[in-house]
Amino acid sequence: MSAPHGDRRVDVHPRYDAVIGLEVHVHLKTRSKLFCDAPVVYGAPPNHAVTPVCLALPGVLPVLNRRAVELAVRAGLATHCSVHPRSVFARKNYFYPDLPKGYQISQYEEPLCTGGWIEIQVGEGERAEAHRIGITRIHMEEDAGKSVHDDSLAGAEGSLVDLNRAGVPLLEIVSEPDLRSAAEAGAYLRTLRSILRTIEVSDADMEKGQFRCDANVSLRPKGSPAFGTRAEIKNLNSFRFVEGAIAHEIERQARILDEGGRVVQSTLLYDPAAGRTRVMRVKENADDYRYFPDPDLVPLVIPPEEIERVRLELPELPDQKRIRLEAEYGLTAYDARGLTASRALADFFEAVARAHGSAKTVANWILRDVLQVLKEADAEPEAIRLEPAAFVRLLALVDAGRVTARSARELLPELLLRGGDPEALVRERGLEAVSDAGLLEAAADEVIAAHADSAARVRAGEEKILNFLMGQVMKRTGGKASPVAVREILARKLRS
Amino acid sequence: MTSAGAATGPLGGLAELGSALAARRVSSRELVEAALARAAALEPALHAFVGLRAERARAEAAESDARRARGEARGSLDGIPIALKDNLVQRGEPTTCCSRILEGFISPYDASVTRRLVDAGAVVIGRTNLDEFAMGSSTENSAQGPSRNPWDATRTPGGSSGGSAAAVAAGVVPLAFGSDTGGSIRQPAACCGVVGLKPTYGRVSRYGLVAFASSLDQIGPFTRSAADAALALEGIAGHDPLDSTSLPEPVPRYLEALTGDVSGLRLGLPREYFVEEGVDPGVLARVREAVAELERAGAKPVEVSLPHTKYAIATYYLIATAEASSNLARYDGVRYGRRAAHPKDLHDLYHRTRSEGFGAEVKRRILLGTYVLSAGYYDAYYRKAQQVRTLLRRDFERAFEGCDAILTPTAPETAFRLGEKAADPLRMYLSDVYTVSTNLAGIPGLSIPCGLADGLPVGLQLLGRPLDEATLLRIADTFQRRTDHHLLRPPEPR
Repeated sequence: MSAPHGDRRVDVHPRYDAVIGLEVHVHLKTRSKLFCDAPVVYGAPPNHAVTPVCLALPGVLPVLNRRAVELAVRAGLATHCSVHPRSVFARKNYFYPDLPKGYQISQYEEPLCTGGWIEIQVGEGERAEAHRIGITRIHMEEDAGKSVHDDSLAGAEGSLVDLNRAGVPLLEIVSEPDLRSAAEAGAYLRTLRSILRTIEVSDADMEKGQFRCDANVSLRPKGSPAFGTRAEIKNLNSFRFVEGAIAHEIERQARILDEGGRVVQSTLLYDPAAGRTRVMRVKENADDYRYFPDPDLVPLVIPPEEIERVRLELPELPDQKRIRLEAEYGLTAYDARGLTASRALADFFEAVARAHGSAKTVANWILRDVLQVLKEADAEPEAIRLEPAAFVRLLALVDAGRVTARSARELLPELLLRGGDPEALVRERGLEAVSDAGLLEAAADEVIAAHADSAARVRAGEEKILNFLMGQVMKRTGGKASPVAVREILARKLRS
Repeated sequence: MTSAGAATGPLGGLAELGSALAARRVSSRELVEAALARAAALEPALHAFVGLRAERARAEAAESDARRARGEARGSLDGIPIALKDNLVQRGEPTTCCSRILEGFISPYDASVTRRLVDAGAVVIGRTNLDEFAMGSSTENSAQGPSRNPWDATRTPGGSSGGSAAAVAAGVVPLAFGSDTGGSIRQPAACCGVVGLKPTYGRVSRYGLVAFASSLDQIGPFTRSAADAALALEGIAGHDPLDSTSLPEPVPRYLEALTGDVSGLRLGLPREYFVEEGVDPGVLARVREAVAELERAGAKPVEVSLPHTKYAIATYYLIATAEASSNLARYDGVRYGRRAAHPKDLHDLYHRTRSEGFGAEVKRRILLGTYVLSAGYYDAYYRKAQQVRTLLRRDFERAFEGCDAILTPTAPETAFRLGEKAADPLRMYLSDVYTVSTNLAGIPGLSIPCGLADGLPVGLQLLGRPLDEATLLRIADTFQRRTDHHLLRPPEPR
């Protein structure tokens, strides 16, 4: 129960089943806002990316961004939803300074998409199994602005409002309460993000607030069909926070139930520094947002043939790609899933594998070495700057024994993140493998002389010892000796 | 008449002034000066305007004259002085909706209608008075105080577009614009003896019209004649990409529809509207005379039925207030307009800004609208009202199977006295009984003067099929060719 993330079995509770549903808000990748032509930009000076419409000046009217609709349809189709030819925008009424109109335009009774699912992998390696997680609905809505409560800017008495984000198009993706652990929630979010990126619906950059999550968590005694009282954890903006918050919330509720208490329906905030949730407000009764159809907008009607056109234009989805990679490149399911976690990574793999010829070799390099470099640099696969052809040339240098694998790994971070010509870099760093026969012969002779015992054992048939002698030769050549050449020379000398 | 007297005399009609400008018998500068002088002379008593833009209007008139001198006049509106109801925004000008809550607001953008009028060369001389946020039937709900009826200064000009109606009736401008949510153009037009047109919902862009009830609001002109209304409508009608509810259908040449021929047209007289009870006998008499006149012109009166009429007022006040409660949420003191001084906290900011900023009628409607949208009441009120709205629309569809236009009184009585109904909101609401169904159905409505009752103007209302403004204008123009009710002027103040 202690690990906030990792193997799912760690955070499965012995006495209770956790029931988790997630609401994800995703910024759609459009140039302009959902209902006006203000640009969608990040990091602009406050209140600069605004028009009379998103400032809610008297008399303005919303006009729907058709591009946003197309992206929303794409998201619905990619998550196996029914995309409805008719949906309706509604006003969600509440007062807040960063909500300029006093209502948010959203969809309520008639959303664009309902009834879909995505498949996630639960567990690792041998124990991995696929779970289908239901998607209740996907609807379109506009984002609110940002309130800034910063004494240094607003003074102790005041708050400031930045409306650059007000009106940015959002999808709200609501899952069924099908998730059972923090790790499953994490897997769901990663899979969903990968799909949304693949279909180019969103950059889903969590740091920019483009992918945010609210989690509904409740517990029930194991085997009980009834749902317990749920708590809603708001505004989780990293995978780690989602998993941490859910794990903590499961513990908190379990403790309450163990003590014979009652979970109160409430809205919580997660404090990542303290690793705990705290109550923002207790819900006595449901908020009344006085939803009603927005009379400024006509119902959104999308002809079925338009939906079909979007379906045909969908790129290959991660699941489809995984199945194809398994078949086409003879990969294991595990390797294929790893490679298709990101479209950029999968594309890179395919480009390299096709030119290189050995898919297994390439998959190993990518899943082990490339991912390691990205992880250390805290970078996404989209950050790869190395041309696939250049990577192929680097691998060819290794295959030909002109560069050792070790040297290649050494060069990888720079090549991967900045790009460049592997041959030139190898020359520049003096990392050409030593294949000068005379030099290697001399080194081999020295090693055989210095390790006569070992040499004798190799001669007596203890092949494994040959590796030790090889290592010694490599050491003497500063790791630059071609292992193939060294092995050949040693084997020849010790057989004679 | 002295030259000073001539300078403050009433301006002529739109077409007449347009021809005078085209023939260079008069300059735009002269027309604008005349309008401003007329306003200056009448305003203390009339209070049709809440703001005049004299200097800018003079400069724009001079530009118009310069264009015309270069042979680059832009059409029949170029150089014409006009007025806008103070809920239509104009770039660089204040818009208050006659509410304290919008004090100090200067619009940084033009309404689409304003844009089209300004592009056509029309010269806005000022903003006219209205009931706060267009909620009312008398202009008495204006934070700026009421306008007076040019026919009788003890009476209201009707509302909510009372200022625009009074400005045209008094001959300050030949053309003014208003908005009509439940009769706010037609009822004051009737009270002031001018022509008022509410186009089909979606015919004129609402972009830049400060919303009262979005599904009902529509902008339209006040003029002296039906022909002028046709000219004005051509100037503002048509699809606008900035208004999602604006209709894409091409705009006909309304002037060309004015053939003077109504023979064979079937004029529907709704049984439910021609009842003695609650209607001034003088009003009913004038309307019946108008029908008889059109019959002599060859039209054929037929009885029609609008069976759900009795639910119209209730339906209207549920839908209009629901939408208003949401539309007016943006006036929160955060971004523009009035803000309460020294708020203790956010709640106090909202509470005091809105308590101080809104008048009683606006508060009443926000409360009512908030209530009808609330969980637990939505189905009984808002949803039910939408269902009845559908029935009302079908009533009209069926009626129009048997007639080409519907004729009714515009209002059940002539202009009432200031203060007469101010304390009784329900009685005030009932003055909309003939007009609200039109907005609920989205169809066009036109009010034209059809004579006097006890010395006060009576309005004849013509209702048409969706987008069939042309037929209404043709009937009205034919009537005006045969009668001179529209030529009657209120007495000149002494």
